[in-house]
Amino acid sequence: MPANRTASLVAREGLGGAYFLLTFLHPEAAREAQAGQFVMIKAGVSAEPPLRRPFSILEASPERETFTLFVKAIGQGSRALAALPLGGVAQCLGPLGRPFAAPADGEEALMVGGGYGVAPLGFLGGELRRRGEPARLFYGGRTSADLPLLKRLKQQGLEVVPATEDGTTGVAGRVTVALEAHLEATTGARRLYACGPEAMMHAVARIAAARGLAAQVSLDPWMGCGVGTCLGCVVRIQRAEDARWKYRCACTEGPVFEAAHVVWPGEAESHARQARAAAGEARA
Amino acid sequence: MSLAVEIGGLRLKNPLLAASGTFGYGVEYEGLIDLSRLGGVVSKGLYLEPRDGAPTPRIAETPSGLLNAIGLQGVGIHAFVRDVVPRMRRHDTALVVNVCGDSVEEYAEVARVCDATPGIAGLEINISCPNVKQGGIAFGGDPRMTHAVVAAVRAVTRLPVIPKLSPNVADITVFARAAEEAGADALSCINTLVGLSVDVETRRPKLGFGTGGLSGPAIRPIAVRMAWQAARAVKVPVIGIGGIACAEDALEFLIAGCRAVQIGTANFVDPQVHERVLAGIGDYLARHGLSDVCELVGTLEYPGEAPRCPAGGSS
Repeated sequence: MPANRTASLVAREGLGGAYFLLTFLHPEAAREAQAGQFVMIKAGVSAEPPLRRPFSILEASPERETFTLFVKAIGQGSRALAALPLGGVAQCLGPLGRPFAAPADGEEALMVGGGYGVAPLGFLGGELRRRGEPARLFYGGRTSADLPLLKRLKQQGLEVVPATEDGTTGVAGRVTVALEAHLEATTGARRLYACGPEAMMHAVARIAAARGLAAQVSLDPWMGCGVGTCLGCVVRIQRAEDARWKYRCACTEGPVFEAAHVVWPGEAESHARQARAAAGEARA
Repeated sequence: MSLAVEIGGLRLKNPLLAASGTFGYGVEYEGLIDLSRLGGVVSKGLYLEPRDGAPTPRIAETPSGLLNAIGLQGVGIHAFVRDVVPRMRRHDTALVVNVCGDSVEEYAEVARVCDATPGIAGLEINISCPNVKQGGIAFGGDPRMTHAVVAAVRAVTRLPVIPKLSPNVADITVFARAAEEAGADALSCINTLVGLSVDVETRRPKLGFGTGGLSGPAIRPIAVRMAWQAARAVKVPVIGIGGIACAEDALEFLIAGCRAVQIGTANFVDPQVHERVLAGIGDYLARHGLSDVCELVGTLEYPGEAPRCPAGGSS
């Protein structure tokens, strides 16, 4: 059960540029958080900005009663959060949302993270690594400075494949290029997980659809409340059996959705529905 | 100390309600907060049938405010009665249904369903949603239509009937009186103000619907002024709404003549905001030697004669 409480900042680590790791004391979130879940959080009680912000949880430590966020301080809310002094207080509700589904036995988890979207995948990767399950993170950005968690995630023992569009680190090109290369070069059961810019998640969804792989994405629309009451964060979701899509709250029915159930921008139907129609035509 | 109030037959243990559209159907907060601490909960707007609502994006933050165009997405009154009301009955708080319609007949039909449902304490009539293409403001922007909707609902229910008035009119007192004449038991003042936020990079509105309704502390002085005008224009009680985020904000509305208040956007910021507001009202009453919150209602000492100009005017 999520808890609404004040959470004090117990650690802040600058990662260069606008990137920070912020660790807050919040026993309930620390104890109950699962990979893919998030908190609604706001620094202090000031009137500006009005709303709390959703952040996926990067790490949780039940022993220390803390959770850690990976924050890019670029907006009013994230900057205020990063500017909190140690011991400073945030208002925090969490953990919230539907977590990632674990891979099935023997499945390799292939995670695709872009920018600050890597946070929930860092959590998932850490869990899988501790359980000794096969996991690999494709971590993409425009340039090497956009991969501030690379060193940390590698040090934690996670298999990370970096990719930068300018080629300064790792594979040159989009992160999905690195993913496709791996899919081509290897065989066996795989499951995809993605979080990052919408275009990147859409690309991963297309790859999954083309190869018949299960894939989950963590969507990141604007959120007002985090508990399904404002209906501000709805996304278009359509299962194979649904004749038309429905708006679903990303905060309570997501943020993790099956990639095949999302009606992506520019597409009229979800990939699951498109596949069903194609199968029907093939039979006819 | 007494915090209980009575709003046109609606008895509340304290003068705080959660505003429609900011608290879901109430049940979303089960387990997270103690719902019985609220005087009442006003549901998200309900039509007869389920609604998809407006296209995304649906919310945009503005200075001290929130611009939204949700477009009354909802489960419809029948699913609400079946799935929500039994759960909400377990909580000691007044459940008020926000009634919507595309036609006078639909408002009346939703009201009829509510009237036949034990556990519903009152009806707030939504004639002021700015984010639907028909209905809503079509009824709240014309005093004859306001009268027609309220009279139609009045005719089919004994529940307290509380029209929610729009601020997007030249003179809210005209609408307040029209609603009172049609048989309203109380008035909710105000709904959101129509606004427009522009994404300068794409040169498109930030909201999928285009315009939206502005709420939050940004609108509070306007809301207090309009609730005050409405309260002076009618005999029925007024529920003040608009940007309440702390006890002092709520007290402004009470002093200006409102018998109760609704907390809206602040619920998104902190679902336990009502606890702080309630405690603050108690402290205030104690500090001012008052034993009953009703003693505070309408005690505004306005300098000289209050202006008759609807908008207050400036010079």
